[in-house]
Amino acid sequence: MKQERFVALHGREWDSLQSWLNALDRQPKRTLRQEQTLDFASSYRRLCHHLALARGRGYSHEVTERLQRIVQQGHRVLYRPPAPRWHRVAGFLVAGFPRLVRAQWRCMAVAAALFYLPALFVLVLLQLRPELAHTLFSSTQLAQFEKMYDPANAHIGRSSGTDLQMFGYYVMNNVSIAFRTFASGLFFGVGAIYVLGANGVLIGGVAGHLTAIGYGGPFWRFVVGHSAFELSALVIAGGAGLQLGLALLAPGRQRRGPALVAAGWVGAQLALGAFAMLLVAAFIEAYWSSIAALPDALKFGSGALLWVLVLGWLGRGGRAGTHGA
Amino acid sequence: MIDTVREIETPEGVSLRLRAAGALPRAQAWMVDLFLRLAVLFVAMIPLSLFGKGGSGLAMLLMFALLWAYSVLCEVWLDGQTLGKRALGLRVVNADGTPVTWLPSVVRNLLRVVDALPGVYGVGLASTLIDPHARRLGDIVAGTMVIHAQDLPAGQQVPTLAALPLPLVLAADEQAALMAFAERAGQLTVQRQEELANLLTPLTGQRDTAAIRQLVAHANWLLGRA
Repeated sequence: MKQERFVALHGREWDSLQSWLNALDRQPKRTLRQEQTLDFASSYRRLCHHLALARGRGYSHEVTERLQRIVQQGHRVLYRPPAPRWHRVAGFLVAGFPRLVRAQWRCMAVAAALFYLPALFVLVLLQLRPELAHTLFSSTQLAQFEKMYDPANAHIGRSSGTDLQMFGYYVMNNVSIAFRTFASGLFFGVGAIYVLGANGVLIGGVAGHLTAIGYGGPFWRFVVGHSAFELSALVIAGGAGLQLGLALLAPGRQRRGPALVAAGWVGAQLALGAFAMLLVAAFIEAYWSSIAALPDALKFGSGALLWVLVLGWLGRGGRAGTHGA
Repeated sequence: MIDTVREIETPEGVSLRLRAAGALPRAQAWMVDLFLRLAVLFVAMIPLSLFGKGGSGLAMLLMFALLWAYSVLCEVWLDGQTLGKRALGLRVVNADGTPVTWLPSVVRNLLRVVDALPGVYGVGLASTLIDPHARRLGDIVAGTMVIHAQDLPAGQQVPTLAALPLPLVLAADEQAALMAFAERAGQLTVQRQEELANLLTPLTGQRDTAAIRQLVAHANWLLGRA
């Protein structure tokens, strides 16, 4: 078939598809209600067929380029990813996320060890040799910690600021740390290892110092509430970073590219879950942990309950039989 | 051919052409986004400062949203374009050429931290220069790429001349080469244009300026101009 005849035969259909696609860009909702929408998939496939024919028959640049442009536009519409379904967020948090954490349990265990072992080590060390606190922190830092957890304070855990202000601060600070921990795992896991270890030493150091000088009461009362969510989220973010670095170091039976993409997919979900956990932690930290007037039994009881809940959620959530999903 | 175009075969058996965007337009888009976000923060600070310390907490939440959530939400809701990318005509697409989805967008924007090191996007710049599709590390891990959203209309830069039919049928790649010559000739020196046009003397039967004119006339015919 001659090119002129080909264009004369199909040109009108191409034009109508093109104008529908252009209208879709401008007014998506109204255009989708047109009758032509029902016909889109089939007329797009016909157009792809025409493009293949035009290329095969060596028609001129004009025709192939014209068809190519419509195909590019149509591909974007036809293969548009489905709109996100919000009810799946709840399903992910209840079941999908704990499953994912358990699936990566080796990285999570390493991350937990990298964080908790230095923390415990420093905590115990500072009980035996309290003067070492001065090698870990500068004296202004120590003074600041002591001021925050002074037993005489009405609000513990902060020197000034309202609940809302501290909530904003905790979200910004803690989530940024978690996200950076995950991302820095891309450097063969070194970044995640460093952040986990450094935070372990830091947190262990603060806890050890305050306990050693007798401010342990307010400190533990403050941290016990939100520690379950916050520390677990940090460990999970670190584990997500470790598995990203591991995909680069030991991709297994895949090439590094696909292995990294798969690890990124997992890591993003873990990071999002950690983000949700840190939101909860920040809320507890700002509005519950800071109340000094509650009795010890309530503080430590609720803290223990939260630890049981978090570990139970991560350990049992989404198992077959409990949720059916 | 040295080219930034990535061809992807679609399920219909035709190929999509994605034109990878380099570091410069992406940096410009990033600057636009940066200034937009700073402007939003600045404007929001004015009423928030009235709320005292609670307001500074809200400002911190806003900063968090602008820092981490802005890019992801924009890319997912606006077909792979943050406002800066829209201004520069860029688009983030998945490996199959569709607009970017949630998780890839989260991955590429979280790993921005790595690309932004050291200084201002040092790793990212090196990565875009090395990778054939100009992807930064975040894009490689997310399986996405940034492309120019607008297709250049074919032959727009070809100077208009009276069309002249070709004496013989050219294959598709030969036609493409002829079109590319007609489109880009204006960027070359006259001597180089003549040198290239003289290669086709067997086709045109002309030399130098006449050969250039005849090739452009053929290109006009290929474009379907009268």
